[in-house]
Amino acid sequence: MRPDGAEADRRREVRAAARGWRRASAIDDATLAAIRASYPDDRGRLGPAFRSLAFVFTALALNAAFFFVIAVADPRGDAVGILALAFGIVLCALTEVQIGLLKRAEGGIEAATAFVGIAYVIGAAGWLMNEAQMPERTLVPAVLALAAALLAAAAARWGMPLCAALAAGAFFLLLARSPAGRPFWIAAAAAAPLLVIVGDSPRLPPVHRRSCQAALAVALLAFYAAFNLWSWDHAFVESLGPGRAPALKDSSLRPLAMAGTVLIPTAALAFGIRSRRRLFLDLGVVLAVASLVTLRFYVHMAPLWLILTAGGSAAILGSLAIRRFLDSGAGRERRGFTAEPLFEDLSRQGALETAAALASAPSARRVPAEDRSFTSGGGRFGGGGATGEY
Amino acid sequence: MSPEVAAAAERLGEQGLLSPAQRALFARVARGELVSVYRELRLALYAGILVAMAGVGLLVKENLARLGPLAVATALALAAAACLAWVQRRSPAFSWREAASPHLAFEYVLLLGVLLAGADLAYVEARFTPLGPAWPWHLLAMAIVAGVLAVRYDSRIVFSLALSTFAAWRGVSVVLLEKAFWSGSDPASSLRANAVGVGGAFLLLGAALVRLDRKAHFEPVAVHAGWILVLGALASGLGGRSPAGDLGLLLAGGGVAAFAFRRARFSLFVLGVLAAYVALSALFLRIDPGFTGGSLWFALTSLAVLGGLLGVHRRLRPA
Repeated sequence: MRPDGAEADRRREVRAAARGWRRASAIDDATLAAIRASYPDDRGRLGPAFRSLAFVFTALALNAAFFFVIAVADPRGDAVGILALAFGIVLCALTEVQIGLLKRAEGGIEAATAFVGIAYVIGAAGWLMNEAQMPERTLVPAVLALAAALLAAAAARWGMPLCAALAAGAFFLLLARSPAGRPFWIAAAAAAPLLVIVGDSPRLPPVHRRSCQAALAVALLAFYAAFNLWSWDHAFVESLGPGRAPALKDSSLRPLAMAGTVLIPTAALAFGIRSRRRLFLDLGVVLAVASLVTLRFYVHMAPLWLILTAGGSAAILGSLAIRRFLDSGAGRERRGFTAEPLFEDLSRQGALETAAALASAPSARRVPAEDRSFTSGGGRFGGGGATGEY
Repeated sequence: MSPEVAAAAERLGEQGLLSPAQRALFARVARGELVSVYRELRLALYAGILVAMAGVGLLVKENLARLGPLAVATALALAAAACLAWVQRRSPAFSWREAASPHLAFEYVLLLGVLLAGADLAYVEARFTPLGPAWPWHLLAMAIVAGVLAVRYDSRIVFSLALSTFAAWRGVSVVLLEKAFWSGSDPASSLRANAVGVGGAFLLLGAALVRLDRKAHFEPVAVHAGWILVLGALASGLGGRSPAGDLGLLLAGGGVAAFAFRRARFSLFVLGVLAAYVALSALFLRIDPGFTGGSLWFALTSLAVLGGLLGVHRRLRPA
């Protein structure tokens, strides 16, 4: 990442924090203005709505332009791949110009040129390798390796955390294609502590720290997937490879998978609480739910309705208990945790909840084209994603 | 954890822009020494309610014969009443203005109560058929109940549920429209007219809320739901024999975009621009331009839209 881009990103972080302080009425408008003046922004940015439209229309324009050229030039064989490769490289160069010379950030257009450009380079490489009669067992790993490298480079150079997550995903898919995919996943995920340390480094700009967190999340999920009992019994990791998945169910190492299914979520949660790291806390909860679902898959301890009702009730009561526990501490906090909202922007979560309730309407009454009478057919009611049929 | 913000808090404190208390709190949060789990708790509450409701639905479905209809109906009613009683006990005095939530779980328990009441009503209707052939009216009843509770307890989530239930009563749901749209079949014109009518009613409701200054903060929910229904209904008729539907969507989308832009409602602006572009492209594709012409159309028009967006944004910035 260019030094001026890194500096702009650091300032953006402070300005974003100040907006949060203002939102929570912790500072007034004059202080916010003073902070903005102290940390000026020299990047060309767009708001979320304009940014998303700019991304969509840029991606559409680029793809349509390429298909137009293909339709007019009607290239054959390798020429398609070469054209796509050149197009992808030009788009990557355009991204570099926008982020560097034009000082654009969070504008949608540079993200679209970056993603479309990388996709064309990867697709073109695959096309050319295929045209060169490369066997599949070589072609797919080569494309995955290229994808991992390009996406990682994009994350590092242009500061795009999504690219970091995709690069990590491509890397783990690449490992899965090796004969020892599962051990490789475990070994690679063992680099997670390194990502934790690097992701905390104040020498990195915020966007690179977020990229480390994104890669870390993928690595932790891969680590869990390598140990999860269902994944073990169904040879999930091995099924991503080229050969026939081996039967692991009778392996003497199966108890390790059982232990991992229980211990990994527990360890993630414990580490998250101890170090006050939200990523580990959130992932710990998600993995714990995954482990409970796995348990239910093997042990039918109760009917599904009871599991769901008890699980939902436990989530509700557990949340209330945690909130009460934290609120009863000195200063409404315990061990550095609080149930107060602090300075986060909660409007998006509220909007999502409202949208979820809106989208999951009760099943609609169909208006018949001719027959205007209805027969009593029972109803269905639910909201926010819940439904109940009778 | 954000070392930049921690350093900035210290610096701003030294400059006198932040008080010592502000400086200490902001730096603490930035260093990760104080972490809020508010968002996680809300998410767990919402997810818990959805999962529990799914369990209740299964319970009723699978144990109908064993439990007996009266027991099921009574249990659901009692559970709903318990939720609503808790909400009533915690709720602040009624106000037409936005009210601060008195408890983290307040809105979620209200939602659970409304969902349980709705499930109970649907179950009673299905089991005892008191409404006979007029069974869909129970949806209207539920929409009204949910609407009243949403207003009384100031819940946007329950208000959106009331609107979607009302739309369901009129034979319209977002899901249904989506299915009709993707299946490529031309849905009944009555369905589309219903959707446009309901969407228009929601828009009028939103305008009334603001004009009368009664729960004016519910207006975005009504307006978004209204436009989604109207645009979705018009979009479901795209590519029909007559271009009237395409023209209608173009006008409506353009109108929404212009309205939203003037009011700085940018999520609606996105919706309007996308709808207008889709309609315009559908009109163009009617002349069957072929692959080359189609590609050129999308390349040029996308660039034109992009240029327009950047131009409009440039005009916004000085403001």
